[in-house]
Amino acid sequence: MNIRRNFFAALAGLWLVFSWTSATAADLVVWHAYRGAERTAFEKVVGIFNAANPDINVKSLPVPYDAYADKITAAVPRGRGPDVFIFAQDRLGGWVEGGQTVEPIDFFLEDETIEALLPGMMEAMTYRETVYGLPIAYKSPAMIYNKAIIKNPPQTTDELVQVAKEHTAAAGGRYGLVYQYSDFYYHSALLNAFGGRVFDPEGPTPTVDDPKNIQSIDLMMKWFKEDGIVPPDPSSTLVTALFNEGKSPIVFNGPWFISEIEGIDVGVTAMPTVNEAGGAPMKPWLTVEGIYVSAQSGHKEEAYAFATFIATDDESAFIRAVEGRQLPSHAGVYDRPEVSGDPVLAGFREQFNNSIPMPNYAEMTLMWSPVTTAMNKITKGSASSEAGLKAAQAELSASVAALRTGR
Amino acid sequence: MSIVAGNTAYLDRKEEAPRGIRGLLFHPAAFGVLLAVALTISLGHWFVGQAKTEITTDQWNRGVIVELMALADAAGAIETADKKSASEKLTTMLKGLPGTDDGAATYRVLRLSGARLLASTQPNDVDDMAPPRRLSRDEKWLFDLGQSLRASVQTQRDEGIYRRRQIEVEELDGGLVRVSLPYFVGEKVTGIVQSERRRTAVAATGNRLLAAGLVIGAYLLAIGALAAVGRERRDKDVTRHKPWALFAVGLVLLTLSAAVYSRSEMGDLTAAYTSLTGQLAGEFSSVKDRLGYLAGQAGVSLDPTMENRWDVDLFRRPFGVIDGDGNVKGAALADKVSEMTDRLGSALRWNWGVGLIILVFFALGYARRLRRTVQEHRSAYFYVMPAMLGMMVLAFFPFGYGILLSFSGQTVLNVSEPLADLMVGFQNYVSILGDFSLFESTAEGAVINYQNFYWTLFITVCWTMTNVAFGVTVGVLLALTLNTKGLKYTNIYRVLLILPWAIPNYITALIWKGMFHQQFGVINQGIQMFGGEPIAWFDGVFSAFMTGLITNGWLSFPFMMVITLGALQSIPADLYEAATIDGATRWQQFRHVTLPSLKPTLIPAIIISVVWTFNMFNVIYLVSGGSPAGANEILITKSYKIAFEEYRYGYAAAYSVVIFFILMFYGVFQTRMTKATEAANA
Amino acid sequence: MIGADKRTGQVSHFWLHLFLVFFTVISTYPILWVIVVGFSGQQALAFADVPADPGFLDRLRAIMPWPQTWSLDNFRDVLTEQPFLTWMMNSAIIAALTTVLGVFLACTAAYAFSRFQFPGRKAGMMSFLVSQMFPGTLLLVPIYIIITQWLGLGNSFIGLVLVYSVTAIPFCVWMMKGYFDTIPIEIEESAIMDGASRQVIFFRIILPLAKPAVAVTALFSFMTAWNEFILAATFLEEEMKYTAPVGLKFFVGGFASQWGYFAAGSMIISLPVVLLFLYLQKYLVSGLTAGGVKG
Repeated sequence: MNIRRNFFAALAGLWLVFSWTSATAADLVVWHAYRGAERTAFEKVVGIFNAANPDINVKSLPVPYDAYADKITAAVPRGRGPDVFIFAQDRLGGWVEGGQTVEPIDFFLEDETIEALLPGMMEAMTYRETVYGLPIAYKSPAMIYNKAIIKNPPQTTDELVQVAKEHTAAAGGRYGLVYQYSDFYYHSALLNAFGGRVFDPEGPTPTVDDPKNIQSIDLMMKWFKEDGIVPPDPSSTLVTALFNEGKSPIVFNGPWFISEIEGIDVGVTAMPTVNEAGGAPMKPWLTVEGIYVSAQSGHKEEAYAFATFIATDDESAFIRAVEGRQLPSHAGVYDRPEVSGDPVLAGFREQFNNSIPMPNYAEMTLMWSPVTTAMNKITKGSASSEAGLKAAQAELSASVAALRTGR
Repeated sequence: MSIVAGNTAYLDRKEEAPRGIRGLLFHPAAFGVLLAVALTISLGHWFVGQAKTEITTDQWNRGVIVELMALADAAGAIETADKKSASEKLTTMLKGLPGTDDGAATYRVLRLSGARLLASTQPNDVDDMAPPRRLSRDEKWLFDLGQSLRASVQTQRDEGIYRRRQIEVEELDGGLVRVSLPYFVGEKVTGIVQSERRRTAVAATGNRLLAAGLVIGAYLLAIGALAAVGRERRDKDVTRHKPWALFAVGLVLLTLSAAVYSRSEMGDLTAAYTSLTGQLAGEFSSVKDRLGYLAGQAGVSLDPTMENRWDVDLFRRPFGVIDGDGNVKGAALADKVSEMTDRLGSALRWNWGVGLIILVFFALGYARRLRRTVQEHRSAYFYVMPAMLGMMVLAFFPFGYGILLSFSGQTVLNVSEPLADLMVGFQNYVSILGDFSLFESTAEGAVINYQNFYWTLFITVCWTMTNVAFGVTVGVLLALTLNTKGLKYTNIYRVLLILPWAIPNYITALIWKGMFHQQFGVINQGIQMFGGEPIAWFDGVFSAFMTGLITNGWLSFPFMMVITLGALQSIPADLYEAATIDGATRWQQFRHVTLPSLKPTLIPAIIISVVWTFNMFNVIYLVSGGSPAGANEILITKSYKIAFEEYRYGYAAAYSVVIFFILMFYGVFQTRMTKATEAANA
Repeated sequence: MIGADKRTGQVSHFWLHLFLVFFTVISTYPILWVIVVGFSGQQALAFADVPADPGFLDRLRAIMPWPQTWSLDNFRDVLTEQPFLTWMMNSAIIAALTTVLGVFLACTAAYAFSRFQFPGRKAGMMSFLVSQMFPGTLLLVPIYIIITQWLGLGNSFIGLVLVYSVTAIPFCVWMMKGYFDTIPIEIEESAIMDGASRQVIFFRIILPLAKPAVAVTALFSFMTAWNEFILAATFLEEEMKYTAPVGLKFFVGGFASQWGYFAAGSMIISLPVVLLFLYLQKYLVSGLTAGGVKG
């Protein structure tokens, strides 16, 4: 039985080769999905923390965004995850409901921590009146424009339409405005201007077919069909291409878009006010990046100390802003001249005043598919805005009920 | 086929059946009875032990809960009356509670606002740690517990359904049990009351003597029956001659012993439950008196409870077995008892089923046959084993879990509960397969409901058939062309043609998506170059379907080409020579030489690629995204959505199982058909 | 072979070349766009860029995959800003081991399925096939539990190798079995007459004869491991252990995507596959083994 012996010898050999790969222990591990400048700045900040706290050693691990949520869901409840992790608030509700993932921290939370942050930020980190994380940065779309073409950015939607029409020539592929209007995330700015909402704030009951939501979509459809100032089938790649080629001078997009701009002098400012909504400003959804302590961490006190440092330390927030091009949730950093004098950071900071944190209910993820279908139907003209949203409301209500009863 | 036959030589080897007393004791029929009865009874014994332990601990817990609910009422009343003196009054009150003087029980009252410990009888909470005080940092868990109970109450109010426990019962080390529940000021959860005390370990078991007696008795009776049939019939090889009569005797023995055991234990259990309820009623009355008195001392009065609001389950829903005066309600108790015995009864019936399977397996000779088979085909199994082992652990086991999950109502909201508590039977399947609303009426008349399962199935089948047909046709044609003798540059063609397979499809799929863009895509530019009208690819059901088909066809033909190239090498050149000598045309050569020779490798490749295409997630997701309006979703993208966007794991698993059965049906059909054509050709 | 015989109406090589060129253009055209994006030095995915009221030539220029500028920046950044070469090496180790293990397990099992008659043969074959039919979306967590908690192979290459091998086995087994079936049994019979053992027959006679099929299954196993992303990203817990697809995914996803880096990385990552195919294709060339197999 030579082969049998060989087989087992081979197995044993393989085992030996890989036994060195078992994990080494570090004091604190933090997971994040940063890359590029954001990552470099974050690691620099971690280095500062490590130097200041010789008894704590923080090691960071970047995880690709596409696998990040699944990795946390799989690893953390089984005790294999990090001590601290960074994620936007949209998944928070699901992780809290699922249990054993995020540690509640309001017991640790002190007033000066909250005071150091921009107002309203904690709302995104609070789920059912319990605080689970500290906000460290935010992202939201704002109005980004080509300074060479647009001298005075429009203040109202009437101005916007007027300016955009001047720069629209559909035959040549030129559109005055381009943004992913059929994506509900980007549509949220108009939605919130009209005071619409997708969930009732008193307990997450879906209100997708709220008349205000319908109004907001009607305005968007007017831009698309009647005014013709936005192109068909907008995708993120198309937005980038049109803006970079100088074919569209105005986009609604977030800070992530800045790094994709090539060779264009850009200005950033708050989105216009909406004449059709009685002059209320466009208010995009705010994505708040939180830093969370893992419920499975063996060093929760240290982990919380690290989280507080990241969220509230002046210098680290400054580094993240200036070097990492992040928008820290830290309030004081925007008073520093390097930040307030930076047109991009200051522009997005301006938009922050007109923004609403995206709800963090577990039910939020259920909303995307029905509303995406609705937006598709409406923009393709196969349903009216009312019919589309009514159908989405019915679908969402059914899936919310099914989620809660488990059947 | 002599090589294969050589292997079967073992089969004819006669195995000597053991004789004499060993033959009697280890005879498959008797031994089967022993194993079956032993397994049935011991499993039952375990279940009964569990049930007995459970009712005892449950009643014990309920005693604590009754007391804490009363205390919570008192704490709420005291806080309502005056917040300032609450701590002092509660401290006095806790001192008067049973168990505080001898340290058998400790209590805590926590106010959530400001994380203040109002009163405590914990031995550590004295001197500078004496309440009232803010919780210390290492008491964070206490605060979090209170917050989570508050959130549970809030969740129930918001959603109107009971899914999060409002009373926490924790088992600590050393038999210590900690019970915590919220107290209210008005409607608002203000804090929690908590008690820790030692629960004497309950070692309730079933009747051991009865269990052992039944097993031994059944075995002896089986041996007796065996002895009675006589040596001649007994020594026959059970794998060839099934001993039906002995099996029937075994079945009777199994059923009888299970029935006797079940009846006796059910009686015990009913009696125990009734007496425990009586005890609980007594405890309730004494709590009512004691706490009523203590509350009076503190200047508040407890509601004279007309209906018992203190004896509640973990969701704070009244049990309704004991009334407000501490009397047991007979009818309600009977309901509870039958609910419990029904549950146990069904568990015991499953046990019987397991026993029956064991009995069939042994008594009818299947066990012996299995052993012989394994011995006889040792080397075959040896070759298969490594692969099989890997598949077992990493493929079949997760797959089994998936099937189990499909019968549950697991969602993100209850994922921390044990799966056994979430079982919903076939409900998921009924709601997937039983939804025939293929059309919906709108203002524009009846339109197809693209969300319906059967529409998605239809699209999935179209998607799979067209894709595989395309991939196979193109792949085989290219391989045949490349295999042409004397053709130049085939090396270069081959490498360029496998590139779609080599490049990560994430980027190429998105490139294709960009190429299909209505205004800026190169395909429409190409159409316009020759004066055509641009097509809005993603607006129509058919054109959007084509985008997926073209992209996936492009991605999949290289695989088929490589397979075919490999398979072509197995065709001996002299077959063609012979065919040519016979004057076969090229088509005839292809039809009668190439195609039959490709079949053994091509058919499995086709089956597998059907399976993959059916479950091809990336292309649909990245290119058309199911547009327009979800019409071009396929089953797998739907199931992904249900699992990761709607968080309904059980339902998504059922979707996956449905996909699995559709594919399995196809697989069986395809292999049958292949065999049939082979038979026809032969 | 086909087309070799003039009497039976050989298709002119011109038409064959035309056919091949047509499909080569189709198969490479989208990839040329990937190359364009990779060499553009920029990060945007390409769209057709046509002026207002375009003519035929404007459109022709728009659909020609040719970048405005050529630059190696993307490649340089991909290779230097991250430990991409380490990740490539990790991927290579994992894919190579998966290939070896997968092909070995598949060959042994397929040999048994092809050459032995034993109870459970059909069921075994079917079960391999069936295992592919259950969609993997929900299996991530169970597999995670098995690998990390039961087998203790979290954060290790060997855990990934096991999972990838098992993913590749069913196809490989069916493919190999099909091929083994075409190898005449008489070869083995005569070897048995000469007193050769099963193992000797398997390793010395059958495997060499099945080279084309081994080549195909090897390529397939390699590809299975080489391009896999989600399991690798979930199981590995150290940056230096990441595989190339994991590293590649850093450039996309979330809000922003650096398509230039991604395209450059994709080209780098597909290079080893092309090299492997270049090596393996000699086993897929007709005539090499034809003499060895006689029916």
